[in-house]
Amino acid sequence: MHLVPLLLYAAAAAAYVAHFAWRDPRVGRLATALMAGGVFAHTFLIGMQTVQAGHAPLVGTSAAISAFVWLLGLSYLYIELSSDERSMGAFVAILMVALDVIPALNPGVAPRPPVLQSPLFTVHVMSLLFAYASFALACVLGVTYALLFKEIKAKQLGFFYTRLPSLASLDLMNSRAITVGWAFLTLGVVVGGIWAWQVKGSPDPRAQAMSLADPKILVALVSWGLYSFALFARKAIGWSGRRAAYLSGIAFAVVLLNFVLVGYFLTASHNF
Amino acid sequence: MRLFAVGLSHRTAPVELRESVDFSRKGLDAALAELASRGIGRELVVLSTCNRAEIYAVGETDETADHIGRFFSEYHDIPHAEVHQHLYVHRGPDVARHLFRVAAGLDSLVVGEPQILGQVKAAYAVASDGQFTAALTNRLFHSAFSVGKRVRSETGLGEGAVSVSYAAIALAKKIFGDLKDRAVLILGAGEMAKLTGIHLQSQHVKQITIASRTFQTAQNLAERLDGVAVAWDRVDAALTAADIIVTATGASEPVLTRSRVEEAMRSRRHRPLFIIDIAVPRDVDAAVGSLDQVFLYNIDDLRTIVQENLARRGAELARAEAIVDQEVARYTAWMQSREIVPTVVALRQRFEAIRRAELQRLEPKLANLPPEARSRIDEVTRLIVEKLLLTPTEQLKSVSDEAMIVAYADALNRLFSLAQDKDRDAVAPEEESEVSS
Repeated sequence: MHLVPLLLYAAAAAAYVAHFAWRDPRVGRLATALMAGGVFAHTFLIGMQTVQAGHAPLVGTSAAISAFVWLLGLSYLYIELSSDERSMGAFVAILMVALDVIPALNPGVAPRPPVLQSPLFTVHVMSLLFAYASFALACVLGVTYALLFKEIKAKQLGFFYTRLPSLASLDLMNSRAITVGWAFLTLGVVVGGIWAWQVKGSPDPRAQAMSLADPKILVALVSWGLYSFALFARKAIGWSGRRAAYLSGIAFAVVLLNFVLVGYFLTASHNF
Repeated sequence: MRLFAVGLSHRTAPVELRESVDFSRKGLDAALAELASRGIGRELVVLSTCNRAEIYAVGETDETADHIGRFFSEYHDIPHAEVHQHLYVHRGPDVARHLFRVAAGLDSLVVGEPQILGQVKAAYAVASDGQFTAALTNRLFHSAFSVGKRVRSETGLGEGAVSVSYAAIALAKKIFGDLKDRAVLILGAGEMAKLTGIHLQSQHVKQITIASRTFQTAQNLAERLDGVAVAWDRVDAALTAADIIVTATGASEPVLTRSRVEEAMRSRRHRPLFIIDIAVPRDVDAAVGSLDQVFLYNIDDLRTIVQENLARRGAELARAEAIVDQEVARYTAWMQSREIVPTVVALRQRFEAIRRAELQRLEPKLANLPPEARSRIDEVTRLIVEKLLLTPTEQLKSVSDEAMIVAYADALNRLFSLAQDKDRDAVAPEEESEVSS
């Protein structure tokens, strides 16, 4: 069952890539249908896990990545249906497949330790995952911006020129994604801070490791700094376009690093 | 009933003749009404653009084509001999092929140009509003629209600008999206500057500013383009405000140097800037192109794009023709199935009528049977008729050759004297009134 979303996402990715390359509208509709099917199956899977465990499956990196992929799929579908623009699908779907491999190979819901029995935990995790999904979209938009920018600048109008929307609309969508993501990142970090302060007396060693020295928390603050700078630089010193695109790529690399590598191996406070 | 298309186009007729047979001058509806009043064709559509004049009609006999041909000369008062040699005639499925190719832009002067589809739609709308169309032409034209749409979305045939001005505008749109909120600065006020300015104006840009060494010429062009003229020494301020700059001065030295544009970029906070240099010799220093967020295209770059686009369109031709083939096959199949259907229906009605008549005749004898037995008799007779007709019906529907269909229909009409029924079917009252009224 836990493989079904991954397989549907993979099929959707293949269809999106085919649509991107050959632009057959039927293949495009098929891709959207597969993506919607994948998200639906994923919703069902997460729902089942919630019923089985008695709480939302957000504990552990595997479960968090699964929820992240699900949110990314939902956000992407919303953007596709509201803008009628499928060209991002190829990029987003590939990212989703790459990430969903982890939860698909490590299924199962981790038990929820007592320290996480708080509504703040759900708010903390969900808002951060939503922020990451926005940043993922911003990154994809940034990558496509850079590709299109390169073609126009080099006067080699070709593959991407005929397939992507205009630089201005990519830049605008990037700016919106970063703004939304930044708001949720801020919310998630603040709620996390309050909650860590609340459980300070807990005997759980992880609660005691909650400090700025913990890699997970440190890197999260670094990414908050990067996105804050991206917002500030766009407004104040005119870092739009290519610079904003590069910045959203770099910052998302930091987010992914924190989410996957640090989450699995390095953190002492967030290894649930 | 048969489809005809008679007309002339840039492929068969010189421009003078095309101009003199332009139906849109007096209005397409006038031409349609005149055709109908002469009793030419049951269904009618007149298509008239600067590159073609064509009449699509459904007629009973092959003479319809001659009548339409004569109509071309009589309606426009031109000797028939003069028009006749330039006319082409398409019949049956060839009409579909021809119209589909026209709608897809495959028959256009500039292959793949998109305007023709809109013109075909408009021509059909006029005919349809005047109730000159019916089943055959409705289906024919709607299929043509979908061919046009498919060719545009599934092939690259209509893609890529094929003139320098359009290439520049397409690029601007790829950079800025909608050009409505963008400011344009034109340096120079000559013919090239004016042409490009007119194209940009048609995109409803926010503002057009014109600067020229002689203020008066700038002002003249500004009036023509609904823009603002600025003095030559105030260009730097205009550079800061502009998103798109067109340079077309006659200067022998670059007007925009790297340092000048760099300065402007700083004060405009690195918003993207698109510079189109259509002057020869060039007005913009090539080093400007290496500035971040500056896109510099000169006339040679734009010409190269146009060449590439033309080559790419050529490569997409085969895919577009394949779509036309598919849709022609589909339309032809529909047309043929439609031709045999009335005969099949009439045949079945005939058999059913005989069955009912016989049951009616036996009614006095059956009256004293129990209801169960009577319904059984009814069912058995019905099944016999069904079984008798099953194979003929299937066979008839599988015939695809037009001549065979006519032969079969003819034979069946004679063998079972269906003619009366069929006539009633084929000449539906509403179809009759559509053309002859």
